[in-house]
Amino acid sequence: MKLSASDNPRPVKILSAVFSILIVLTAPSFALAQQKVSRHYPAGENVRFELKNVTGTITVETWNRDEIAVTALMDNRKATINPRMTEAGLVIDIVGDNRGLGGNVGDINFKIQLPARSSVDLETRSGQINVHNVQGDLVRAHIWTSGDIQMLGVNASRVFASNVEGNIFFDGEFVAGGTYEFKSGRGTISLQLPASCGFHVVATSSVKRISMGPFWDERRMQLLSDGRRITGDVGDGRASVTITNYQGNIQFFRR
Amino acid sequence: MNCEKYQMLLSDFVDGTLTAEDCARLELHLGSCPDCTDTGNDLRMIVDFCRGQRGQYEPPPNERAMWLRISNLIEAEQGPLNQLQPAAEPGWLFRLMHRSWQVSFPQLASIVGTVVVVVALGTGFGVRELVKTAVAPPAPNKPQALPDERHRQQQEMIAYWNQRVDLNKARWSQQMRDTFDRNVGVIDAAVDDSMKQLKVNPHDPVSEDILNDALNDKVALLKEFSDY
Repeated sequence: MKLSASDNPRPVKILSAVFSILIVLTAPSFALAQQKVSRHYPAGENVRFELKNVTGTITVETWNRDEIAVTALMDNRKATINPRMTEAGLVIDIVGDNRGLGGNVGDINFKIQLPARSSVDLETRSGQINVHNVQGDLVRAHIWTSGDIQMLGVNASRVFASNVEGNIFFDGEFVAGGTYEFKSGRGTISLQLPASCGFHVVATSSVKRISMGPFWDERRMQLLSDGRRITGDVGDGRASVTITNYQGNIQFFRR
Repeated sequence: MNCEKYQMLLSDFVDGTLTAEDCARLELHLGSCPDCTDTGNDLRMIVDFCRGQRGQYEPPPNERAMWLRISNLIEAEQGPLNQLQPAAEPGWLFRLMHRSWQVSFPQLASIVGTVVVVVALGTGFGVRELVKTAVAPPAPNKPQALPDERHRQQQEMIAYWNQRVDLNKARWSQQMRDTFDRNVGVIDAAVDDSMKQLKVNPHDPVSEDILNDALNDKVALLKEFSDY
């Protein structure tokens, strides 16, 4: 005997009605499982934002308003966020605020909006960090373990990006006299720069996979230790760039 | 003779039993030493007082029994202390520091002269050795002690922080444990790779830099996760 919708339409209708009710009932509970916190703070003359997260994604964007907006989506409803306005700027320390949870803070995903002139200092134990269009003095992104770092349109005089496992992508400009450090344990470090960029580079990869791309100049650069290190100048050589990768690639692209 | 020895003669001096020669030397010293003069005057006052009060106090009915009781009490108090700590002679440094010294001007001048000569000779030799060391090139094929020492210290720190991490690790989620172990593995691989390179080429600066960086990274990572 064949059973089909056309044979006996009544049970099918009942089943679909039950599923619909279940979906309607369970959807809010999924939404309630995460907690959303949103706060706004006035931005001072020299805006500095510090965030120390445990796990989760951090996204920093710029806007034209003179304030800092913090939006956090927390997996663990017991986790707390206690931003502090100090003389140095706005500080959020999730590690310090949640010591009582014994390491079970869960993922907290941050979206930060701040003025382009801001300095940002971001840190997490694992998770991704994205920084877009920040042009303050400092941009620092540090992932203690695994996670990708993406910096787009960054034009700061001091940039530090480091992780152990994950890729680092930088698309921005190097300021003359600035300091730039990129470091990964196992991941690809990619730098996309305008042709006019001038810098002194020390790039080290123990697996000998360094590609200077269009910035390679055999008269002004030299290979050391069987090609595991490249050092030399590009353009005016006024910015200092240090790149270290234990087991991954280093590659340069022209924008 | 110094003050200590002169003061040992004071008791006989006050009793009037000192030889004429010692008496003369002591009187000469007392004329120039106010400390010994004060001590001598104090002793003389005590002796004079005792002599003046002789016969005014009745002796106790059983003097010998009283002394025995006092003696027993003292022995009882000192007994446990003596069992614990065998009587030790004071050390030479203690004796030296607690000794009162009195030297004549020629003696003092000769001591100062000796010290000056010894310091000058020592400084001369030291400067010569320093110049020699600065000029001489590093001995070939001799491993540099500084990086080895630094790596040893880093390994000690790693062992310490590793213990701290292990204490807390059980509380972590499985995902965090896996992530942490995987990342430590990445750093360890960099350390191993650098060590291998350094065995082939002990003076490779890149391997040395990576080894140092990787060990520092590991210490920092363990430290960060030690209170997680």
